[in-house]
Amino acid sequence: MLGFTLLARKAMQAGLLCLVCLLPITLEGQEDLAKPIPILTGSTGYFTRVNGGTFQDAPSVSPLLLVPMGDKWLLEAKGSYSLTYAKGSEGYYEGSSAYGMPYGQIDYLANRYVTITAGRFVTPFGVYSERLGPNWVRCLQLTPMIQSVFSGSSLGGMLRGGFPAGSDKVNFNYAAYFSANNTHHLLATDRSTGGRIGFFFPGPRLEFGASFQQVLQLDRPHSAGVHFVWQPNRVPVTLRSEFVRQSGTKGSGYWIESSYRLSQIPYLRRLELVGRGQQFFADPKLTYAQVKKLGALGKDTNQADAGINYYFRSDIRASASYGRQFVLNRNVNLWVVGMTYRFVMPLGPKGNPL
Amino acid sequence: MKIRNVIFSLFALVLLLTLAAAARTGAAGKDKEKDKDTPAARSGVSQDDTSRLQGEQRFHANCARCHAAPPKFAPRMAGTIVRHMRVRANLTEEDARLILRYLSQ
Repeated sequence: MLGFTLLARKAMQAGLLCLVCLLPITLEGQEDLAKPIPILTGSTGYFTRVNGGTFQDAPSVSPLLLVPMGDKWLLEAKGSYSLTYAKGSEGYYEGSSAYGMPYGQIDYLANRYVTITAGRFVTPFGVYSERLGPNWVRCLQLTPMIQSVFSGSSLGGMLRGGFPAGSDKVNFNYAAYFSANNTHHLLATDRSTGGRIGFFFPGPRLEFGASFQQVLQLDRPHSAGVHFVWQPNRVPVTLRSEFVRQSGTKGSGYWIESSYRLSQIPYLRRLELVGRGQQFFADPKLTYAQVKKLGALGKDTNQADAGINYYFRSDIRASASYGRQFVLNRNVNLWVVGMTYRFVMPLGPKGNPL
Repeated sequence: MKIRNVIFSLFALVLLLTLAAAARTGAAGKDKEKDKDTPAARSGVSQDDTSRLQGEQRFHANCARCHAAPPKFAPRMAGTIVRHMRVRANLTEEDARLILRYLSQ
């Protein structure tokens, strides 16, 4: 066992050394104007939340490093750091910090059908975690409850891609992965496998798909879900929804969200109205100890949120939302007010427009 | 004798370069001829305009489904961003190419 650990550590060191040696060579080779350059992007945010009368101030930053190598490789590493100041039992504000690495992966665009990904990645399940997760993208800052039902991060390998399915009228996309168990307190992942398939119709801008995850450890639960996104051509409305059900103790639920950008109304074109409804159904067979352990996932919950976003620019946005959560014996108000800023910085000569 | 060899070599080199340049110009000319036969050319719309329009459509269909439209980026930055999004949002190869063109213009 010790020998295996040493071997794994040596392999990781050798891999890192290769990466460090290869990076300057790759960057040197990117003199051509059309060649992509490494960039540092990401977002910062500052939000004040009131959850059932408890005030919280939470500044955060999530940098994302993108390093393209040659024509087919891409290294992606995203970090997150947030502080939370909340009023403690003695009436004073106490701060706590949290940091982590949502993903650190290397992608190889093998051909038009397949991209191979290795490392730590966001589990391809539904659309929220992969595409709507960053705080500058999501319309409402509160994460839907069903995101905790399945395992959100994976460590291993993944095959994915998107291509026209026979004609230009429909695109097919897929992702299939295998993840190993990792018990590191910051980078914990489950041993699991699963995937997602989806169909996108560019004409009516309609997308729907299904996801599956099988955990291969402990009580080996599986999760299944469906999702859809529709953005009509004539009206600046987006409708999104996801449903997830787990076979284990984590229950099932769904959310449906609608956002309406007032781009057709003069003076209000920077404003966006958002609404979301969600229901979560706890497993009815839970014991008292399991309910206590699961926390929010141990009780049936209904929640409705409404919010507005104001885009000062495409990268600076102010947000405010109000939500009402209905849980057995505890109905609470949820307020969120704050701002997000998305940054993009080139780490090399960026070239002139074509 | 040596001078004659040098002159001959230079002449051969110039000839080769001229042939290569002529071949390239010919190919470009053929491409232009081909362009003339496209529907875009016949309707008076340039190839650039057509690809820009297609890129804009693909951008709104794919990218705006999740987030607000970003500003245009320098070509080398756009290349990285589009590659990232091709992986994350499972863009097709053609969509990625047209969106890159649109974002870089």
